[in-house]
Amino acid sequence: MAVDMKMPILIVDDYKTMLRIVRNLLNKLGFTEIDEATDGTDALTKLKSRKYGLVISDWNMQPMTGYELLQKVRTDDGLKALPFVMVTAESKVENVIAARQAGVNNYIIKPFSAEVLKAKLKTVLGDF
Amino acid sequence: MAGEGKLERIERLTNECIDMCRTMLHGRKHLEALLEPSFRTHKLQRAVSEQKVAVKEMEAAVDRILTAVEGMSEIDFSDAASAGEKVAAGCDEIMEACCFQDMVGQRMSQVNETLAEIESTLAKLAEGQEAQPAPPLQEDEGLLNGPALPGAAMEQGAVDRLLAGGKGKR
Repeated sequence: MAVDMKMPILIVDDYKTMLRIVRNLLNKLGFTEIDEATDGTDALTKLKSRKYGLVISDWNMQPMTGYELLQKVRTDDGLKALPFVMVTAESKVENVIAARQAGVNNYIIKPFSAEVLKAKLKTVLGDF
Repeated sequence: MAGEGKLERIERLTNECIDMCRTMLHGRKHLEALLEPSFRTHKLQRAVSEQKVAVKEMEAAVDRILTAVEGMSEIDFSDAASAGEKVAAGCDEIMEACCFQDMVGQRMSQVNETLAEIESTLAKLAEGQEAQPAPPLQEDEGLLNGPALPGAAMEQGAVDRLLAGGKGKR
């Protein structure tokens, strides 16, 4: 099934630069409906107010981390099937294992290239 | 002191020595926290390393941005299609390089945290407060370390293998 390029995507990061970078890269890939949140709490509020097709989240944020957000998404009946990609500088084995166990769909290490982002999104969403 | 007898003088000097010893012991308790091997080897050395890496990352990002800009300034615009592609590639380079702000920001947060800890300990020492034991680690603190130092980070390929169920190799 073709990927709906108009599906809303939520990007979550406490660094405005990263929000801009990811938004620009997604725009370049053809995605047009992009919302932003600055931490897990903000993201959760937004996830409950609109139907998203994908979450791209940083890990290290306060007060709610991306990992905690992932756990909350996976235990929420209305959100648990939502594709979730972690884009983070947290590159320790423990982090990746914890994210995998929590149900992350993909995990991108910062700094990353546009090509890596595209490849990982294709893995999660299918070809576009 | 004038009119002070020999015994009084000895007693006063003894009391002054005791006070000095108390002050030194009090200060030592505070400084012990900063001299603990875990603080010196983990936090202090890590902060120094983070700062060095941050400077290198900034330098690398600026170099990448300048290279992209120099490349774009030499584009021959007589071939519009080719020039457009080259400008787009240059923009991508600049965009990706800007990730450094996040990485450097996280590294500097760790440096700031360590400096704040030292400042707090010294302030307590100056105010004469009692030394407090270091707070225990939070449950998920081990999962919140920010960017790894060079050599300690997993590469994307290793992460992919780990996610796929294989073993990740650094």
